Amino acid sequence: MANYGGGSGGGGYARTTTYGTQGGDDGGGFVGGSQQGSQGGQGGSKYDNDSLRPVTIKQLVDSKEDYPGGDLKIDGLGVTQITLVGQVRAINAQTTNITYRIDDGTGVTDVKKWVDAGAGGDDDESAGGASKGFALDTYVRIFGRLTTFNSKKHVGAHFIRAIDDFNEVNYHLLEAAYVHLALIKGPQAGGDGSATGGGAGDDSMFVDGGYGGGAATTGTGGAGGGSAVPSRVSACSRNAQNFYKFLSESVGGGEGVQLNAIVAGTGLSAREVLTAADELLGTGLIYTTIDDETWAILDY
Amino acid sequence: MEATSTPRVTCTYLNSYVGKNVMVVGKVVTLRGDEAVIDADGNITAHLNREAHLSAGSGVQIIGKVNPDLSIKVLSSLDLGTSVDYSLANAVVEVTHQHKSVFAYD
Repeated sequence: MANYGGGSGGGGYARTTTYGTQGGDDGGGFVGGSQQGSQGGQGGSKYDNDSLRPVTIKQLVDSKEDYPGGDLKIDGLGVTQITLVGQVRAINAQTTNITYRIDDGTGVTDVKKWVDAGAGGDDDESAGGASKGFALDTYVRIFGRLTTFNSKKHVGAHFIRAIDDFNEVNYHLLEAAYVHLALIKGPQAGGDGSATGGGAGDDSMFVDGGYGGGAATTGTGGAGGGSAVPSRVSACSRNAQNFYKFLSESVGGGEGVQLNAIVAGTGLSAREVLTAADELLGTGLIYTTIDDETWAILDY
Repeated sequence: MEATSTPRVTCTYLNSYVGKNVMVVGKVVTLRGDEAVIDADGNITAHLNREAHLSAGSGVQIIGKVNPDLSIKVLSSLDLGTSVDYSLANAVVEVTHQHKSVFAYD
């Protein structure tokens, strides 16, 4: 830290930028790093993303993988364990599994529950008496894992139970919306750098250190701009915040920074960068310079 | 996939969904023959199918097609009992229209 503060500012910033944005871009950090890294680490890090996420079926249908065979992602975050709520539209019982067609009003998906022949036990569906499972059109809550088989998405259910209180359906939809918003806009918190979450904490610490050193010796302009960054973009999406942060930390920002440099620096995909650029252009925080894919911060 | 999605709506959204399939959660106000009036932030007339088993005063979820006169031809209905929080259901409709990326196809 002392080195960065005291040393030649430009080089120091450029290097911290690289470290910082990779750390701050949580979930995407490894993608920017190296592919073999993410593949090698898959076995070990698989459980890191195993938090249970409430989703709508439309989100499942829309989910995409970064590269063939990769994890399916919703809002840029890999999803594995999910919970969803929907009505049973069709039941296809086989000897080894039961496939339910589930409809929640936003879309339709197949949910596969493997039949455990040994346990005649305590699952709701077997307790319900019928090996065929639930009655048509009943609402059920499903806990499971989003998987692809023959490039077709389905949910492998760990557990399915009937919903007794209809309000749980509405509750689930609100929860799915809440989680979606928390992921794209960042959790609600105070305006400053710490707001963007765990990974970004390191990031802002580096940057503040760097700017702090600068302010102590000479330039106060940079420090002012630095501290203003988080509050100006706090209403923007997480990608846009990373974009803006990268732009503000780049040297020679007057000429603007080109798309490829931003892709490399932030670990976002080109498409994500363009979307973030649109968002920031719309709010008047950046402007295009020499061409449509080069942006600089609009300072006023 | 669009054909299978049934957006959640209330009475106020009906005119933008004429000819489309929608889902309505509301309270059965009156029930007369195969016609019911359902309160979902405003009264909606629903033309029921033969399978419908509704009871006045309890909640219902209907899925059906919006006619040009803003009544609904019911394709599927589900009795929800009496413990339905209607203000919650209406709030959910608002949220689903505010955040279309999670809930709806344009």
